[in-house]
Amino acid sequence: MSFDQNAFLIILTGSLIAISCGLLGVFMMLRKMAMTGDAISHAVLPGIVIGFFVAGSQRGLEVIIGAGILGIIATLIIDWLRKKARVQLDASIGITFTLLFAIGIILINLFAYNVDLDQECVLYGEIAYLPIDLWVTGSGTILGPRITYLAVLNFTLVAGFIYFFFKELTLTSFDESFGSVMGIPSKGINLALMSMVSYTTVSSFEAVGAILVVALLVVPPATAFLWTKNLMPLIKLTTILGIGISILGYYLAYLFDSSIAGMMVTVAGVLFLLSALIKGRSSKSAGTSMANI
Amino acid sequence: MDNFVYFFTFQDLSILYVVIGIILLGIGSAYVGTYSFLDKKALLGDAISHAVLPGICLGFILAGEKNPVYIVTGAFISGGIATFLTSWLKKNTKLSEDAIIASILSVFFGFGIVLLTVIQKSGNPEMAGLNHFIFGNAIAILEEDLWIYGGLAVIIILSLTIFQKEFSLLVFNSDYGKAIGYPMEIIRFAFNVLMILSVVIGIQAIGVVLMAALLITPGAAARFWTDNLSKLLLLAALFAVVSGIAGTYISFVLPQMPTGPWVVVSLSFIALISFLFAPKKGTITRYFSRNQYLKKTNNEHLLKALYKNRELGQRMLTIENIYELYPYQKKEIKHSIEFLFKEGLILKNQNFISLTDYGIHEAKRVVRLHRLWETYLTEYMNIAPDHVHDSAEKLEHIITPELEAQLEKRLNFPQLDPHQENIPRD
Amino acid sequence: MIIQAESPVLEIHDMTVSYDQSPVLWNIDFTLPSGQLIGILGPNGAGKSTLIKAIMGLVNPTGGYVKVFDKPLEEVRSRISYVPQRESVDWNFPASVLDVVMMGTYGKLGLFKRPGKREKEVALASLDQVGMSAFINRQISELSGGQQQRVFIARALAQDADLYLMDEPFAGVDIATEAAIFELLKKMALEGKTVVVVHHDIYSAMTYFDWMIMLNLHLVASGPKNQVVTEELLRKTYGGKLNLLSKVSELVRKQDFNPLEH
Repeated sequence: MSFDQNAFLIILTGSLIAISCGLLGVFMMLRKMAMTGDAISHAVLPGIVIGFFVAGSQRGLEVIIGAGILGIIATLIIDWLRKKARVQLDASIGITFTLLFAIGIILINLFAYNVDLDQECVLYGEIAYLPIDLWVTGSGTILGPRITYLAVLNFTLVAGFIYFFFKELTLTSFDESFGSVMGIPSKGINLALMSMVSYTTVSSFEAVGAILVVALLVVPPATAFLWTKNLMPLIKLTTILGIGISILGYYLAYLFDSSIAGMMVTVAGVLFLLSALIKGRSSKSAGTSMANI
Repeated sequence: MDNFVYFFTFQDLSILYVVIGIILLGIGSAYVGTYSFLDKKALLGDAISHAVLPGICLGFILAGEKNPVYIVTGAFISGGIATFLTSWLKKNTKLSEDAIIASILSVFFGFGIVLLTVIQKSGNPEMAGLNHFIFGNAIAILEEDLWIYGGLAVIIILSLTIFQKEFSLLVFNSDYGKAIGYPMEIIRFAFNVLMILSVVIGIQAIGVVLMAALLITPGAAARFWTDNLSKLLLLAALFAVVSGIAGTYISFVLPQMPTGPWVVVSLSFIALISFLFAPKKGTITRYFSRNQYLKKTNNEHLLKALYKNRELGQRMLTIENIYELYPYQKKEIKHSIEFLFKEGLILKNQNFISLTDYGIHEAKRVVRLHRLWETYLTEYMNIAPDHVHDSAEKLEHIITPELEAQLEKRLNFPQLDPHQENIPRD
Repeated sequence: MIIQAESPVLEIHDMTVSYDQSPVLWNIDFTLPSGQLIGILGPNGAGKSTLIKAIMGLVNPTGGYVKVFDKPLEEVRSRISYVPQRESVDWNFPASVLDVVMMGTYGKLGLFKRPGKREKEVALASLDQVGMSAFINRQISELSGGQQQRVFIARALAQDADLYLMDEPFAGVDIATEAAIFELLKKMALEGKTVVVVHHDIYSAMTYFDWMIMLNLHLVASGPKNQVVTEELLRKTYGGKLNLLSKVSELVRKQDFNPLEH
């Protein structure tokens, strides 16, 4: 097979998104906040729609700002329900994301006549159109696919965030109270992580869709966690998985003529279940498990 | 308005079917959801509802059309596999429950999307109907659908009603149930089946993405109004039914609107009202009762101040004297004076304020509780006499007559408090 | 019986702490001397852990205050170390023994700085002190309960503090290890550090501690062990909760809000 530039770009972009999500997902998983990640990725929808409506296109900065705000609002509502209204955590998450997502769908339907916002694109993404969606400067120079640039920017920010706050993220994920005792601003770190997750969701939604982001956020880290015992190997394996599922996902989608993002998730799911079958039972550790949501 | 009358007079039989369907669905899912909410497994419902998508698609592919039997069966099977995998992974890997639920949910949904795009590209004309399963369209419920969805809903409602004792045992204290000889594993299995069924019947009207709301929100909202399980179930069902009908009506009036989101928005609205205004537990209610309480403490502090002055031989205080005692609470003190005067606890003579007989009685009670608690703290809790005042300042307002009697008895009706002040009695 | 310490390292003034709106500590007021091994004793549910958490600022008291080294907590955080209960974390976390102990040095490192050679040496020395040198690369879920406990103590040692607060560090630890760790804590106390330990076994407490705090929702006693461990005070500590106090707690809990807060 000769070098296919479109395939390369799609796989590159897919990998970058999968890695960004996976890196954040490792810490979301270790904090037992995988479902909060799920909630955020649903909850940014109204922000995307409002930003879209204000900007008139899905390329505006308004979309990213709108979604970022909604992501943070979602975590705040969950917190408010839990602390002030005293609703248990799992129900708080469920109520918050269903409400915000429902509002998002209603807004899409309200605005559907005014703007060109494709419900299916927002939800499932269409990375396949990436090569024809180009970034053109004012003078007419074509710089390459827009979504790839977004993915590179997103990856750089996520990688930088994790590099600079690695120690704080690790400590507060393992033992939050010990962190606060040492004067590490656990709440600030937590909020920063949530903001990165919402930003990543928005940045990736055009490619893989708002709902499938959560799969990339959770499944590769969960798979890698079954094989590793230390944090660095866990992160490395998550990265490799991100690249692997992009390559496999692309070619399988090509083969079956289906959604690339959906196929990436399916591949991730198969790898996850296989890993669980191989590593299940034997890895069940003797340590105390606080496996509660 | 015409729409409203047309809709709610059921002139159109198909609307009647839809409404009956929504009512049965609302009751069924609210019942199941309330149990799983109490079991702290609310998000499992979310996982199952996303996980039925591939089953729906496979059912569609096999039937070649939107046949409810195929679709319900497909949805049930893939929901069942997801539920089984969730508990298998929980038991056999070191993954935590939230990671497992999120993984299962997103993997199944992703696979569903793959199947959906495959169907889309096959060019099957019935494809449009399939999209309804994502966000729901209650209006599309037909008579033949009603027999299946409604029938399943009736089964769910009946099972949960007949076996209420067994399922409450499962939710509240499964280990105890096992200990007294109930087959808890079978009950758990039966409950999981009911949970999957309730998701399956909801997908047509509400859609897979938002079905979780119909399971979680009614129970969570109803929990604010009652502590009694039967009332909780009825209230949750009521909330679900009302929002279900509201959502259906909106998507009847605005045909391009999917039903699911509107049901969820109405449900969330009911939930918000519950969180804010429910008696005792609502946040606003709590805020008001706290304000009420603070007013009461101000009134009682004023009574106390007047009484202590009396102990020193001064029968009345000027308003200015009182302001000096509480320099930062001028407004509150003014309110308190008004209130106590109205209640006949104090007399106002120009600028002078004094206690009535009834006021003396009340003031004595507060001072007595204050000093009794101070005595208790020093005698039974080894707290130094100079540290007991703050605590007594708060508890004097909440100690009940029964507790007062017990304090008196325990302390053997003391005459003096730790500061050698008299404990007043009538 | 509450004996005050001279030039105390820790002063708790009239502190009341509520948990889920139920007061679990009533009007706690004591001072602690420096350079001693101090035990906190009391029955289950007496509020021992809550006391430690309140000192560390992990739960907010509804009344009263805490001063450490005569200063508010925020100013002296780096001089205090904390050993939480073993069950408070998920031991499946992907980290080695060395990783966890290195965490003790993060507080002094500050933002953005990464642990380097010096931090590693501190961690290794701390592991040596608790006798865990042979396990540095072991994954933490593969340790026994007692070993996990020792890793937590090593992490606290790596923090190099002046005041150590330990929540049940001997739960699930065998007797030989318990004795070895107590020797270590004694040595630390001799070096002038103050070590406060939540403990549940009154017999071993008598052998090891210099000073005792006896707790049962309220402070029963605080002072040198031979003065406060008397039959009467032990009965007050372990002989059931004060009936009236429980009833008042219940009354507070039943309100729609916490009347003890202001």
